Amino acid sequence: MGVIIGPRVIEAGLSLRLVLISPVAVAAGFPSPAQDYFDGRIDLNEHLIKDITSTYIVRVSGDSMEQAGISDGDELIVNRALEPRDGSVVVAVLDGELTVKRLKITAAGVVLQAANPLYPDISVPALADLTIWGVATRCLHHV
Amino acid sequence: MSEARQQIALVDVNCFYASAERAFDPSLEGKPLVVLSNNDGCAVTRSPEAKALGISTGEPWFKIAPRAKEWGLVARSSNYELYGDISARVMELLGRYSAWLEVYSIDEAFLGIKGSPDQVVGLGRTIRTAVQRNVGMPVCVGIAATKTLAKLANRWAKNNPALGGVCRWESMDPESRELLMARLPVSEVWGVAGRLERRLNAMGICSILELSRADPVMVRDRFSVVLMRTVLELRGTPCLPLEEERVGRDQLIFSRSFSTPLTSVPEFRQVLSVYAQQASARLARHHLQAKVLTAFAGTSHYNPKDKSFPSVCVPLPMPTSDPVLLTRAAHALLPAIQDGVKYARAGIMVTDLRPSGNQQPLEPFTNPHEERGIGPLVEQISRKYGRSTIGLGFAGLRSGLDWSMKRGMRSPRYTTHWDELPVARAN
Ligand SMILES: [Mg+2]
Repeated sequence: MGVIIGPRVIEAGLSLRLVLISPVAVAAGFPSPAQDYFDGRIDLNEHLIKDITSTYIVRVSGDSMEQAGISDGDELIVNRALEPRDGSVVVAVLDGELTVKRLKITAAGVVLQAANPLYPDISVPALADLTIWGVATRCLHHV
Repeated sequence: MSEARQQIALVDVNCFYASAERAFDPSLEGKPLVVLSNNDGCAVTRSPEAKALGISTGEPWFKIAPRAKEWGLVARSSNYELYGDISARVMELLGRYSAWLEVYSIDEAFLGIKGSPDQVVGLGRTIRTAVQRNVGMPVCVGIAATKTLAKLANRWAKNNPALGGVCRWESMDPESRELLMARLPVSEVWGVAGRLERRLNAMGICSILELSRADPVMVRDRFSVVLMRTVLELRGTPCLPLEEERVGRDQLIFSRSFSTPLTSVPEFRQVLSVYAQQASARLARHHLQAKVLTAFAGTSHYNPKDKSFPSVCVPLPMPTSDPVLLTRAAHALLPAIQDGVKYARAGIMVTDLRPSGNQQPLEPFTNPHEERGIGPLVEQISRKYGRSTIGLGFAGLRSGLDWSMKRGMRSPRYTTHWDELPVARAN
């Protein structure tokens, strides 16, 4: 493998020039004994995204989910097609904004909780009283 | 047997651009919202609340803007990155419900479906729920024996909330169908507009019902086979098959209006180079080659003096997707550009498209650039490192120039740009 770092100019004739201003990897093309075993690298999409049509990534702003391992600036993988359950971390619509909370479903009612005692619970009689935008399936936590 | 006949479902997103904006910004729910065309020119999509304010589609933004505040009207520039991704999600999802899918536009698709009337209506509801759940887009589904009727059924579903977003044409009682067709002008039929409408009206054919009752042979002789098919389709005879491979689309257009008018040949040289390379990339991606390139420019319709609408049509020496050849062809417009005139738009169109590699060109006509794979190389690099990192010749000098689109009120590109992700509050 050789890497050419631009800028570099290749004559393409016809008075137009091809200008490369990005690093470009050039394969040297030797036969590799590992070639027959190479089946592609690990693809995170394949493992983290169950359904490409319903999966979105959102960025967390604030520390109210800190104790659930979700910090300010982390990204969440959110599946909008999942049925929210008791204990799900959800993105709910509250006052026109996307908000991360833990969903608690009990016989007494439904509660959106922060993972931080400083933030009050939001209680409603039934799940239908909430707009659940999606269910978080992974947190991309910055370590 | 006839119950399980092929039916066609037209799935269409309601107020697509406005719905896409709302999906990521719930604060827009319930507010009047317009999405503006290229360059923030005019309203192309209106939420129902904006329609209720009397804003018409295509209304120039400068006319609406003074009253926006008093109305509480929100405007957004077109966010093509977002709409493109949402569209792709919708189409992928629709593909799971029928292997027979024709993507007709950014927000509508025809699906071939089979089953009893109840089954196909049930499938329509399932699709509607799935698109809402997975992508957050509200859709309506029109089902009928023909594409033309599926379009009508879809429209009916949109205007009648009681139907729950799904309408099967043949399930409506015949009187209601006739009433609807009698009420709608011919211009509401798919494919009938403008001059054709006036000519039909002159013959006393004003409503869709009248068109459906016209003599197909007369329509063929006096108008066209195309319109005859429309008549037959309105009568329930399928004449327009689903085109699964829309590679059959016979042209690609790259065109834009400019935030600052172009006034000089060097600026045009650059703009045309960019379009030619976009065309090249698109052709290559779809394994197509073009035989003809048309380049055009125009002054603004709001600026009646200095009218200029130059265009050139360039037959290419061979079917090609080569960026160098396409760029050279596009530059044929340059001698027609009048220095000093303020051009508000420019574009190129490639036509007479065919699958690449269909026929081997004779040796003397082999294009040296294609052989060296310059087109795919440019495309590969710009995919990897971003759209403006590489370009041929003048298109390579893109940064810092101000002719690109004005999109001052654009929302974040939520699903395609890592630094523009939707924010979920945790505070
Ligand atoms: Mg639509």
